Amino acid sequence: MSATTNDNSKSEVALAALEQVIDPEIGLNIVDLGLIYQIDFDEKENKLYCTMTLTTHFCPMGESIVFSVQEALQTTFPDYEILVHLTFDPPWSHERISEKGKAFLNQ
Amino acid sequence: MFPPGANTDAIKTTSYKAVLPFYAYAALSFLVATVLMLFSAGQFSGHYFQPHTLAITHIMALGWGTMIILGASHQLVPVIIEGKLHSERLAYASFALAALGIPLLVRGFFIFDMGGPAQWGGILVVLAIGVYFVNLGLSIAKSKTENIQAIYIFTATAWLLLTSILGLALLYNFSIPLFSKDSLHYLPLHAHLGIIGWFLLLIIGVGSKLIPMFLISKYSHTKLIWWIYVCINTALLSYIFLFYFSNNTTLLLLPVIVLFAGIALFAKYIYQAIRERLRRQIDDPMKISISAVLMMGIPILLLILAIGLLSFIAKANMSLILAYGFLIFFGWLTAIILGMTFKTLPFIVWNKVYHRRSAMGKTPTPKDLFNHTIFKFMGIIYIAGLLVFTIGILSHFVLLLKIGAALLVIAAFLYNINVFKIITHQPVEK
Repeated sequence: MSATTNDNSKSEVALAALEQVIDPEIGLNIVDLGLIYQIDFDEKENKLYCTMTLTTHFCPMGESIVFSVQEALQTTFPDYEILVHLTFDPPWSHERISEKGKAFLNQ
Repeated sequence: MFPPGANTDAIKTTSYKAVLPFYAYAALSFLVATVLMLFSAGQFSGHYFQPHTLAITHIMALGWGTMIILGASHQLVPVIIEGKLHSERLAYASFALAALGIPLLVRGFFIFDMGGPAQWGGILVVLAIGVYFVNLGLSIAKSKTENIQAIYIFTATAWLLLTSILGLALLYNFSIPLFSKDSLHYLPLHAHLGIIGWFLLLIIGVGSKLIPMFLISKYSHTKLIWWIYVCINTALLSYIFLFYFSNNTTLLLLPVIVLFAGIALFAKYIYQAIRERLRRQIDDPMKISISAVLMMGIPILLLILAIGLLSFIAKANMSLILAYGFLIFFGWLTAIILGMTFKTLPFIVWNKVYHRRSAMGKTPTPKDLFNHTIFKFMGIIYIAGLLVFTIGILSHFVLLLKIGAALLVIAAFLYNINVFKIITHQPVEK
């Protein structure tokens, strides 16, 4: 997994949920595509912070992907407030694609 | 941060409402152009300066090529300049002006009446392009990032504006003597400003970003893209210089060679992008778009041949010039649009229909929005039509011209079926 987290077991569950979100153009899930930068849980406030990026600025699919991330996390963690933070710093690059993702693209 | 239910303005792209009318208009224009060509096939065996040929060329250049590029660019400019489109209202204005102006202009050419309605049509087209130019310029000015592709698009649009202003002046030149010579004399200048300055420069600029992006290629070479920019603009500027200051036709080979060098460098760039791609599968729309890059070379070879034959065989030369123009508008330009339509339009509509229905595999994918069998047939029939019509032009064989045009009508009809299938798509759950 490419994302860094502060709670391994819960983050694994979050990443598994995000693996269901597919980039519609590429057909690859956004975790293996390397769009998820970080997942943090604030147990005191019951908040889940997801820091992510998109492959390009103003990606035509961007709004839909962000919405899907929100929805996937909210369904998996209904008691948490989901806060998605979109960043382009650092920008996405091919190096972020996981080995599994590269194998998928190479099919 | 995007809290639950918050708006996502920071990543919101241009509304589909500002983009889809351009696609629909362009698709219908392509069909109209092919139908007119079927009924005017005989005119393609003579001189290129014929009323119907002029009308068809302008439907292809403005109604088809320019309208779809303007539509797609309203969506893609934010991706390229990494900033929002300045105004969607200006996009609507640009569409309305062009949508009214193009038929008036084309009607004028078709009946060869360059009076009032045609002139108004020309004015509306110039205004439509002017509005787009302002919208683009302000969008780029607001953007925080500078990149070579934005410079390509801006320069190409400046050339388009110049082309349309010259075209309007040529139209007036039929009734008021604005130039020292008749409009026919300036036609090659008007045509090449549009073909090279607008279409070629813009397609290379946008293609240099989108083709590697769709292929998920690691390849990037900004310096090479700059060199291509220099080659194309140098070729065009030197052509303009020679047009005004030289009568030596052989000298025209100089800009042609520089242009050919630019295209060869772009072909090299695309070849490297393909080689270094992470995505093994290349889908059918991408295959058509990539083959269009190779198609760029064919008109250039015909042009070199035409220049070489200029003083020897007048009739053969006319056919070569007609074939050259035909292969630019119906070959290279159409091929790239046929491919790129299905790499852009399904995503725009998918986003419109499903952006709040999640991308979690419960909905169709953008690729499911059009019929792939129809797409394949369209591709095969289009290539057959293109070949038969080109042979018809070169051989002056009217029956071949009619068969070729009929095949292109079918290809345009199939294209329209898929385009309107996408545009009218209603939500379905898988």
